[in-house]
Amino acid sequence: MSTPTEIAVERRGGAIVAHLGGEVDMTNAGQVRDELLTSVPNDALALVIELSDCRYLDSAGIEVVFDMARRLRRRRQELRLALPASSPLMRLLDLTEVGSAAPIYETLDAALDG
Amino acid sequence: MKLGHLLHEAATTAARELETGYAAVLELTRDGRGLLVRAGHGLPHGVLGAVIPALADELPGYALQSGGPVVVKDFGEESRFGPTTLQRRLEIVSAMVAPIGARGRHFGVIGVHSPTRRNFSPDDANFLQALANVLGAASERARHDELVRDSEARFRELADTTPALMWMTDAEGHIVFVNQGWLRFTGHRLSEELGHGFELNAHPDDRGELLERWREAIRRREEFRHEYRLAGHDGRYRWVLAVGTPRFVEGEFVGYVGTATDIHERRTMEEALRESEASFRELADTAPAMIWTTDEHGLVTFVNEGWLRFTGTTLEEELGATWTLGVHPDDAEELQASWDAAVPERRPWEREYRLRGRDQHYRWIADRGVPRYVGGRFVGYVGTAIDIHERKTMEGRLLEVYEQEHRIAETLQRSLLPERLPQVEGLELAARYLPAGHETAIGGDWYDVLERADGRVALVVGDVVGQGLRAAATMGQLRNACRAYGLVEASPAEVVARLNRLVTSGVEEAMATVLYLVLDRETGEAVFTSAGHPPPLLVAPEGARYLEGGRSVPVGAADPAVFREGTAVLPPGSSLLLYTDGLVERRDVPLEQRLEALARIAAPPEDDLERLCDRILSGVLGDSFPADDVALLAVRPEPVPADRFDLSLPAEPGSLVVLRRRFGRFLHAAGASPAEAYEVTLTVCEAAGNAIEHAYGPRDATFDVEAAFEDGELVATVRDNGSWRERRSEHRGRGLAIIKGLMDDVKVATEHGGTVVRMRRRLAA
Repeated sequence: MSTPTEIAVERRGGAIVAHLGGEVDMTNAGQVRDELLTSVPNDALALVIELSDCRYLDSAGIEVVFDMARRLRRRRQELRLALPASSPLMRLLDLTEVGSAAPIYETLDAALDG
Repeated sequence: MKLGHLLHEAATTAARELETGYAAVLELTRDGRGLLVRAGHGLPHGVLGAVIPALADELPGYALQSGGPVVVKDFGEESRFGPTTLQRRLEIVSAMVAPIGARGRHFGVIGVHSPTRRNFSPDDANFLQALANVLGAASERARHDELVRDSEARFRELADTTPALMWMTDAEGHIVFVNQGWLRFTGHRLSEELGHGFELNAHPDDRGELLERWREAIRRREEFRHEYRLAGHDGRYRWVLAVGTPRFVEGEFVGYVGTATDIHERRTMEEALRESEASFRELADTAPAMIWTTDEHGLVTFVNEGWLRFTGTTLEEELGATWTLGVHPDDAEELQASWDAAVPERRPWEREYRLRGRDQHYRWIADRGVPRYVGGRFVGYVGTAIDIHERKTMEGRLLEVYEQEHRIAETLQRSLLPERLPQVEGLELAARYLPAGHETAIGGDWYDVLERADGRVALVVGDVVGQGLRAAATMGQLRNACRAYGLVEASPAEVVARLNRLVTSGVEEAMATVLYLVLDRETGEAVFTSAGHPPPLLVAPEGARYLEGGRSVPVGAADPAVFREGTAVLPPGSSLLLYTDGLVERRDVPLEQRLEALARIAAPPEDDLERLCDRILSGVLGDSFPADDVALLAVRPEPVPADRFDLSLPAEPGSLVVLRRRFGRFLHAAGASPAEAYEVTLTVCEAAGNAIEHAYGPRDATFDVEAAFEDGELVATVRDNGSWRERRSEHRGRGLAIIKGLMDDVKVATEHGGTVVRMRRRLAA
């Protein structure tokens, strides 16, 4: 059995929105990172990862967020997260201080406004 | 990321982190006897892509059998195995190799190799095995993706590129349907083919006989089978084999349904064979024959010039007991035995075997000897041999072509019938498929099971109206489309609506009934749409009942159409039955009564789902064959005890998803909220992840997870055989921080040479 993940990417103005659904763990975190990185063209200003359909994220997934924020910053691009406050994932994101590397917004629109 | 990239990155990382100069990833070949150099770092030119033998007395082969990393301090002091040729060439002194993938399903090995003496630490070995574990997970994933692609491709092949062209005629023998494969072959549009006679496009020389046979078949209502040349889209003719079966509707003959298979290769080969036989006979008359004689003991006394010219030997060499001289080793023993049996009884002897020619190549010859008598006294044999090499090898190739045709036919047949069910964690599944008892064994019923990314499982049973190849082809397309929509769309009504749009927008008219149901394994919640399909049967411990609701029109019946959803919750311990109407429909009995009978037969408790299926089929159908195809799909969520959890799993990354699913169901049963369930599952998986990353050693590494409630507090324990280390790479202690942050109390201890993580958390419920 493998870990099910879905990534759907769309362009919204100057930003790329990646809807990350399903589950991310140590077996697929590297793949998810590579998929997300290749989806961001050089002329994009920001990548918004939209997590409302993400059901599971572990420390490897958190590492992906930090790693991506670092890489994008080097390319002068911003990483933002969109996640409703009611999400079960919220406490994990607070605990690992993900917000310090990628600001977290309640809605996709808020994340796009920056 | 492509697997190839990952392998290269792993090799580079291993060489860099362990500072060895060389690293390589070897993939076990399909037959398991070789190792292909898939990726490497520092390797000399030309090594990538080479295959080396997988020998147990060399390091890579040894590592495959050991089940864990194998460390070599110095090959000079190593007695368990030797270096490979390549290692010898690179003057490797120290090395370390770890197997990739689970035992019995090894992908291959990853190794680092150093030309200087190195003392690899246990931590280094852990690191290499961790890399191997990641590659193992990735290769499993790649293999899985390939299987899925294969099975989907088979269906596309069926509808579009199947080697069997499909056709259908009316009672007068006029074409009423040909499939895409046929149109592609002839290069025509459907409208150009319809209404014409079957002989359209046939080679002028073949048309007369074809028409005669075809009319005869129609007159007798018999199976039609004929080989002829059909014009292709490029104007060239190819040999095809047409096979047609008469169709009857309620006893009245309505036409034929059939296929045409491309047999061009075989036909041309057969013709070439006939030609080569003819030219051989011509040749044998004029060519110098190979002649030999023996004495009464069977010893060779003479061979002629022709023989010597063939073999390139001298007369002296050929005389005496030289029967197997120059004979192919595979043929020598039988040749000797047949000769030894013939001589004492003075019987004529005949044999076809391979004999070495003067150019050292073996050629097939037919050798024949007859007893000679002088004045009634047996004096020995006289024999002649002829070269039959061309004919022999042609026969071999012809046999291959026949076998290939047979395989294609088999593949086609298999692709029409449902495949094996997938393994779905937390669900017991069983299915039955019975083809109708008459006419062709191919029908339009199907069932399917797929896991969605949101963790729910979609179950489908469908029935395309009609029978035979056409219904089967439509079934293949609908089943494929249903899989695609089912992965994307969460709502059953929307999936069925999309199917409806697909069918109503199509060129071909088709209609199907479909029951599409999405099941949540943790909660037992089911959402379903029934498009003209009989209702699903819920078999609960307290009795059986049909799930009402979600009733809609069949797919393909109306455009636009409204599709509704019904919902139900499966009580613990219950099963759900999805089936096609072949199970409940019979002309002589009203549907209501058949449904009642099915519920009655299914109701008594049964632990084994397979036995439940058997009981239902034999109970409902009795000994009679079904009049229509029957598909039956049974599903049962595995029961979860809510008070304690106990599971032992192999220490490999793939175990995490299994643990996550089972632990999630345990917490749901115990009444945890979604946030609590996620947080506790996450901490247990983080602890398990650590056990997996550091698992290595000669034992089959496993880890254990236990959980129970003490005074309303959840106590979870993860136990492994290795020592606790923080993960290497860049996680920097994040795993343990997460565990401590989400649990009320965490203790890490070393017991019996392993690490035990004990965690406590009070749940709100």
